Amino acid sequence: MNKQIRNEIERIEESAKRLQMLAQDNPAILKNADILLTFVYILKFITPIRGKEEN
Amino acid sequence: MNYWNPYLETLPREAYDQIELSYFRKMFSFAKEHSALYRDKLKGMEGKEIRSLDDLKKIPLTEKEEMRKYQEVEPFPYGGLLGSDIEKVTTFRQTSGTTGKPIYVPETYESWQWRIEAWCHILYMAGFRPRHRVFLPFGYNVYVAFWEAHFASEKLGCELVPGGALDTKGRIHKILEIRANGMMNTPTYGLHIAEEAKSMGIDPASLGIERMLCAGEPMPPATRKRLEELYQCHVFDHIGGTEPCAWAGMCEAKDGMHIIEPFFLVEILDRETLQKEVDEGEIGVAVVTPLGRRSFPLIRFNTKDLVIKGTNSCSCGRTSKKIKEVVGRTDDLRKVRGVLFSPKTVEEVVRKEFQEVEEFEIIVERRGLMDVITLRAEVNAQLPISSIEQTKARLKESLKIATNLSFNVIMEPPGSLPRYTLKAKRFKDLREGDKNE
Repeated sequence: MNKQIRNEIERIEESAKRLQMLAQDNPAILKNADILLTFVYILKFITPIRGKEEN
Repeated sequence: MNYWNPYLETLPREAYDQIELSYFRKMFSFAKEHSALYRDKLKGMEGKEIRSLDDLKKIPLTEKEEMRKYQEVEPFPYGGLLGSDIEKVTTFRQTSGTTGKPIYVPETYESWQWRIEAWCHILYMAGFRPRHRVFLPFGYNVYVAFWEAHFASEKLGCELVPGGALDTKGRIHKILEIRANGMMNTPTYGLHIAEEAKSMGIDPASLGIERMLCAGEPMPPATRKRLEELYQCHVFDHIGGTEPCAWAGMCEAKDGMHIIEPFFLVEILDRETLQKEVDEGEIGVAVVTPLGRRSFPLIRFNTKDLVIKGTNSCSCGRTSKKIKEVVGRTDDLRKVRGVLFSPKTVEEVVRKEFQEVEEFEIIVERRGLMDVITLRAEVNAQLPISSIEQTKARLKESLKIATNLSFNVIMEPPGSLPRYTLKAKRFKDLREGDKNE
């Protein structure tokens, strides 16, 4: 898998987690950031790195 | 673009194996940590002990019966099958319960989206694209049927038209009214819509359906062909279930079904011992491990689906493993007078050779010491009365050749047998307690 794609997925993951930290008293932002993380999980699943225990 | 995910769908075989092994180990450890069923079942085993796909055979299969037992404990209603915090569950599904108490299946938002992503492969392979206005002629409910189709169509960019709360005539009118050009249905209901359209003076081909994806029942090639002729459209098949998700689908080459790798690790095992992988062209039982669905971990789930193992190559260019055909379910196989019998064989004969037979039902019963197998065949209104005896004789002969069993054939008048919107129940074994004797 293209390393650049993986890097972008990881950047989204970091941003979503930062959003959750910044908006702990805002259920709407928390939930939408959580949904971003759901799709990060799927994006990682569909871009496996061969030979690594990674999803 | 021919592929939903060009990277994943054209991987070399060894890459699939490596990725699936890695995902399997991860799911194994996850299941052991989060599901009471697997905490007990996999006791003493470690994910790292699985060094190759051959090592999978050391792990016991998961059977529905033990799942029922583990579901009885807390947290209600999923019990020890749950793989996540119950507060994260966002959707309830259940199996139909035809073989016992239903299994309740929890989906978190993540697991549901994972299922939908796998389903997008099935739709895309079958040629569904954003230009399609897809009609779903069902009122969907607690069963998983057509929910995945709904959400995957939406994700793919198709325009989805939910067609529940209408009768068949109402659905036909709606298809025409909104000019739907895609449809998903059971094969049986696809045939029924066509029959109903004809009774309304509408040629099914004029409904404008370009693509049809079938689900819910094994579809013999003759049934698929009949649907294609009736609607003058492309008809595709797929296979799956509530517990393991939809795990294989047909591409435009229509030559078997691709396993959706690496979402699912699928083993096709010999039906006698459930130990050995069968060879290409042989019938085996599909054992499925969904590799990324965490709300409801399943390791080596015995689907009881009987399939013919296919080749690994396809003119579409996808490199995933294939199954050639779905034969039926191990639950449906019966010994009748010592002969192994599958109801799907009858469907293949009827749909292929008897256009005049609209619907049918098979009944097996015991009279004295003898098994008697009967076919009730409903003829269409166009068949002249003078031809009924001839059709009856031909049916007896063709069924004898195809099944090695002598059938008692009863001809029934048009409209006399039941019609089904979901899974058809055309096979009735009235013998008690000795179904596989």
